[in-house]
Amino acid sequence: MLSYVLDRFKSSIVVLFVVSFITFFVLMIIPGNPAQLILGTDATPEAIAELHAAMGLDRPLYQQYLSWLLDLLKLDMGRSYVYGESVTVLIARSIPVTFSISIFAMILAVFIAFLFGMISAIKKNSIADYFSRSIMQLGAAIPSFWIGMVFIVYFGVKLKILPVSGFVPIEQSFAGFVKSITLPSVVLAIGEVGTLLRIIRSSMLDSLKQDYMDMARVKGLSAGKIYIKYALRGALTAPLTIIGMQFAKLAGGTVVIETIFALPGLGRLVLTAVEHRDIVLLQGLVMFITAMVIIITLFVDISVMFLNPRIKKFQQGEL
Amino acid sequence: MNETVVLKALNIKAGDNTLVNNASLIIEEGEIFGLVGESGSGKTLTAKAIINLLPKGLSYSADKIITAGKNMLTASTEEKSEHIGKNIGYIPQNTVFYLHPMIKIKNQIVDGYIHHMHKTKAEALEKAEALLYKVGFKHPKIVLNYYPWQLSGGMRQRCNIAMALMNDPKLIIADEPTTALDSTVQRQVMNLFRTINEEMKLSILLISHDLGLVKHYSHSLAVMYAGQIVESGYTNTVFSNPKHPYTQLLIKIIPSLKIKKNEPLVEIPGFVPEKGRDIKGCVFFNRCSKAMDICKDMVAEHIDDMQDHYYRCNLE
Amino acid sequence: MRKNVSLILGIILVLIIIAVWALSFIYMPYPPNEMSIPSKFLKPDIDSEHILGTDNFGRDILSRIMYGSRNVLLVAIGSVTLGTLLGIFLGAVAAMKRFADTIIMRIMDGLMAFPGILLAMMLVTVLKRGIQGSIIAISIFMVPVFSRLVYSMILDTETLLYIKAAKSYGSSRRQIFFRHYIPAMLPRLITQFSSAIGSAVMIETSLSFLGLGIQPPFASWGLMLSESRQFFLGYPYLAVAPGIAIIITVLGFNLIGDGLNDILINRGNSNE
Repeated sequence: MLSYVLDRFKSSIVVLFVVSFITFFVLMIIPGNPAQLILGTDATPEAIAELHAAMGLDRPLYQQYLSWLLDLLKLDMGRSYVYGESVTVLIARSIPVTFSISIFAMILAVFIAFLFGMISAIKKNSIADYFSRSIMQLGAAIPSFWIGMVFIVYFGVKLKILPVSGFVPIEQSFAGFVKSITLPSVVLAIGEVGTLLRIIRSSMLDSLKQDYMDMARVKGLSAGKIYIKYALRGALTAPLTIIGMQFAKLAGGTVVIETIFALPGLGRLVLTAVEHRDIVLLQGLVMFITAMVIIITLFVDISVMFLNPRIKKFQQGEL
Repeated sequence: MNETVVLKALNIKAGDNTLVNNASLIIEEGEIFGLVGESGSGKTLTAKAIINLLPKGLSYSADKIITAGKNMLTASTEEKSEHIGKNIGYIPQNTVFYLHPMIKIKNQIVDGYIHHMHKTKAEALEKAEALLYKVGFKHPKIVLNYYPWQLSGGMRQRCNIAMALMNDPKLIIADEPTTALDSTVQRQVMNLFRTINEEMKLSILLISHDLGLVKHYSHSLAVMYAGQIVESGYTNTVFSNPKHPYTQLLIKIIPSLKIKKNEPLVEIPGFVPEKGRDIKGCVFFNRCSKAMDICKDMVAEHIDDMQDHYYRCNLE
Repeated sequence: MRKNVSLILGIILVLIIIAVWALSFIYMPYPPNEMSIPSKFLKPDIDSEHILGTDNFGRDILSRIMYGSRNVLLVAIGSVTLGTLLGIFLGAVAAMKRFADTIIMRIMDGLMAFPGILLAMMLVTVLKRGIQGSIIAISIFMVPVFSRLVYSMILDTETLLYIKAAKSYGSSRRQIFFRHYIPAMLPRLITQFSSAIGSAVMIETSLSFLGLGIQPPFASWGLMLSESRQFFLGYPYLAVAPGIAIIITVLGFNLIGDGLNDILINRGNSNE
């Protein structure tokens, strides 16, 4: 078991390095002089050259990479051109927004997926099953922003019950917070439910075929015990892994939703960075988000592994 | 006489294909009843039909199914489920995944007992410990904390037996209980069954392809071939006077130390038919050395009331 | 063969889109970029000249949908094809040449770690926006998936006896590759290809929506959605047509991918 953990750890580190490599070098290819971008078009060549040197941009690339990497470890991601602030601070400020909607969306998606996934598997080929499977397919095909726009019109404007833009921090007002994240989270959840439902359904179907289901039935236990204690328990490994992966992916892919709902999260920050070619900000953001994805995935993998009792070692003596 | 199981004219079909045809048997209270036959003869399905455990794709019909005093044909699903859980213990063929691999023994072995007998977990664990001890574990407390995959096949089988006994059932169905075990363990397990039967007076339906085993341990038996019961009766009766050619051959086949050197082992040529089990003629026709023309079209059923000896054959 | 409901439905949907695409070259009701301020914001009406209505510039929506299909399909199919070919190449090299194995696969792992949109956005920053940039960005996103697939499939097949037999009588690597590996891998590749097109359309749509993908004067459904955003409150119909076009396309390709998956891989033994 321990060797597995170490293994996963090792490969995560390697991947992190590769990611940092790709992130840094890809973005360095951009033509244009960052120093010039900062100072503007009417700066003198000397000023530009000075800033250029001060920013360390005249060193060989690999040196720049290494110093960037070292700074990263100190949690210093440089200074954004656009905002003029420390990238680290900008990211820290945006994390609560993105995480709130991601977590909320995940909770919603998990709830719905388990509910319909289990029903779908237990009552295979019934109307409920077909209904669930249609949700599955549709959820993957409907662009999230389309739903977002529709929701904005209906819930925000016509019914006027939920805000359509802006984020209310939880410290300010709990109710306001909840209301401001509801619509975006629901929209995000719709995108994730499909995949999760499919995995849960499939795992449940496999579990229901196992011999221990005979045992549960012969013992005449209640339906709840049969399906939850026995069937579901045997069907959890795959879904839990997927949930972790989805959450990680979600946290990294909220750009569009944040744009539509005007939420000041990480995604919006990325868009700004791309639009303005703010390399420093973009490098920091991409590195942070991707690192987050990798770490969350690692954490989930290890947790799921712990849930599987086979991994734990026991002594076996005389019985 | 009190009968634990009364089965009359059971038919099991998968779509159009008949798997079990017109099977009938009666298990008396307190007896060990052996159900013998090759793989695919329908033994497990028959047993499952008695306890309402048939897989969903199959359809079945019968004149009578009375299990542990309850009419299975007229009872509702909930009633059946309650009744079986309380009164029947089932020990399946395959032990590998019968116990849930992710749940500790202690949590699986007690839940049926708690549900039906309305006891607390502590009381249930006490009883489980006692039963585990009875089935041969020297340290039941440790076993309870184990996961199934930490135990050997024989140990798992014994856990199954203990679990089956929790509710003091009236009937235990043991499906090929010794097939996956070493011969020494086989002996232990079978003696355990015998002990349980004698001490607790519960009926056991012993399913096996091993006629030798059945001969040694059962009071009555039924021989199944291709979904039909071709002969049944008291074990002594059937063995001393087997009427059906198939039974006769099976008895001959039992390996024993008494065969002469260089005498070829007996075998029955041919295969068990998968289809056409519902024909009017004899289903053993193709492989029977004593077959007559008439056997293609009809089979006579004989019941000897005195000895309760039943067989389906055109021979006397 | 119940499973084929997916496949048939998927094929129907994709055929609809292809029909629209093909038709766009022959006949469009109006030039897609022709603006006509007096005719702006016309509601969809079967009897009128503008069946799906007009947008804020008076441009005919149906024509723009047809025109947009060209670029959406171009980007989606182009990028996935590119990604597949590159992926097959890299996966094969990694599987067959030991020293390249670790390097290539680690790079692929790294690429796969990036969330899709993020990677696309990052690449688009470097490349230019527009059709070319989108194709390259999305294709790079597709490479790791295909290379991983090919890599593992070759390693699995390698141990099969008939490959060993072929090697023993001197078939060259390339021969083995094309004559044996490719046919064995084809079913999975085709299935993945179809699903990938669905994803590619989604990513392209998102990119265009954010203004990073296809640019005016070209049209794209994502672009149409983004343009309609300001006026959506007053004129909701503006978003309906492009949204439905996207859904049909993505759903169609995904269903084909699933249907093929059931037939080719599960041989009807899936849990569906």
